[in-house]
Amino acid sequence: MSDYKDIIIDHYKNPRNFGELDNADISMDEANASCGDMIQIQVKMGNGMIEEMRWRGVGCAISTAAASMLSEKIVGMNKADLEKFGEAGIIEMLGGEVNAGRMKCATLAYRGLLKIFNNE
Amino acid sequence: MFDVEKVRKDFPILKRKIHGHDLVYLDSGATSQKPESVLKAMDDYYRNTNANIHRGVYELSVESTRLVDEARKKIADFIGARTEEVIFTRNASESLNLVMYSWGKKNITKGDAVLVTRLEHHSNFVPWQVLCKEKYGSFRVVDVDSEGRLDMESFERLTADGKVKLFALTGASNAIGTLPDIKKLVEKVKSNNKDVVVVLDASQMVPHMKVIVSKLPVDFVAFSGHKMLGPTGTGVLWGKKDILLKMEPFLYGGDMIGEVGMISTTWGDLPNKFEAGTPDIAGIIGLGAAVDYLEELGMDNVRQHEKELMKYAMEKMMTLQDEDLVTVYGPRDAEERGGALAFNVVGVHPHDAAQILDSFGIAVRSGQHCAAPLVTSFGVPAMVRATFYVYNTREEIDYLIEKIREVPKVFA
Repeated sequence: MSDYKDIIIDHYKNPRNFGELDNADISMDEANASCGDMIQIQVKMGNGMIEEMRWRGVGCAISTAAASMLSEKIVGMNKADLEKFGEAGIIEMLGGEVNAGRMKCATLAYRGLLKIFNNE
Repeated sequence: MFDVEKVRKDFPILKRKIHGHDLVYLDSGATSQKPESVLKAMDDYYRNTNANIHRGVYELSVESTRLVDEARKKIADFIGARTEEVIFTRNASESLNLVMYSWGKKNITKGDAVLVTRLEHHSNFVPWQVLCKEKYGSFRVVDVDSEGRLDMESFERLTADGKVKLFALTGASNAIGTLPDIKKLVEKVKSNNKDVVVVLDASQMVPHMKVIVSKLPVDFVAFSGHKMLGPTGTGVLWGKKDILLKMEPFLYGGDMIGEVGMISTTWGDLPNKFEAGTPDIAGIIGLGAAVDYLEELGMDNVRQHEKELMKYAMEKMMTLQDEDLVTVYGPRDAEERGGALAFNVVGVHPHDAAQILDSFGIAVRSGQHCAAPLVTSFGVPAMVRATFYVYNTREEIDYLIEKIREVPKVFA
């Protein structure tokens, strides 16, 4: 069960930054069509950087833990930082190992976040 | 007698270890495993006979052509059809698209309705939805009840005006196993318009039970070769000869023509008219070998074996449901369902459940099973699905049940 490390279980059971922002600058939705997972992401921006992120949605342990961990990780990141983070950053963040069949779950929130800057 | 242990010896992949465990393959609904005889038929073809069909007068081409003709005859006999009515495609999706492009685009016009059911796989749903959008037709979807059976009230309502011109339905739900009463439904839809053309998606029927197309009240039957022990890249469309003759080709190119002139071209005879380009020759030969294998087992024995497995699995799953460990979807009665068992482990996302089961060597599908309108009708985003076939055993079901109990513990 190498994918279900303690840190993933912890973020899955106690997701960080779950909910809504009162003063969000940008909101966006992202979904995984094949599994029905959905996420809504809201961010507050300052000087081209992400100051705060809140999210909510339905998803598996991997997508939930990834969204939760990402919501802490991306504070202070600008467009270049976020793009640089990439799939490699997601895998590392989740403990260095993600089953290839679960990459869509792992990157759900990340793909949503990338839209912030693409929509600008 | 059906001897599952003997059957298992014919499938080399079942010797594989997955994460250190014996493989328990419960995803035949997506694609089946292949017996040695199918692999050998394809290997023999490439080693000894490989040449294009209908091309040469030389020996190899003649032999290749004969092997494809023989495979077509085997499949025709298997489903009780005439050989010229059996069209080879890449898969059931392509078969259904062929009907949509060749029949649908010509015959569905503004004011016509196309009827499908909420049980459909996307491949028998989306083409008709797109067609209706393009032709300003009315796209109608028969609802399901809480056990995933067709809602007859909704059916009556959607067919009463007699505008349904095409009825596309599945013979067995790939996601939750429902077996609709084809004869009754077709009779009802035809009572309002006797000219309704009926398209049957038999992808989850032909591999699992005896299907005689000439005895069914339908005009087209689509199925995949790779779900019935044959190789990927093979599918079949059966159509009634008088309709096929009136239809225009789906794809243009080699092997499907009559005479090609500078101004215009005529089409070949059935089935070549619908088979443009070099087909998957090795695949078709492999599919022929798969049919031989199924004929040897006997389709009634296959159905009986799967029904017993389903009954056994259902009883065990109901115990888990009573313990609030799982939620089971679809009809409860094994008589009313094919070999698909859909469930969720309470409190665990289906992707997580499937991955944890995989760590024990169990291959089950998780997601929407290409049937999003159906799966979401149960109020869940996705489901886990176990599907059974000729090589599955009661012991494997016991093992599945034992390991389902382990799933929630990962998150405890």
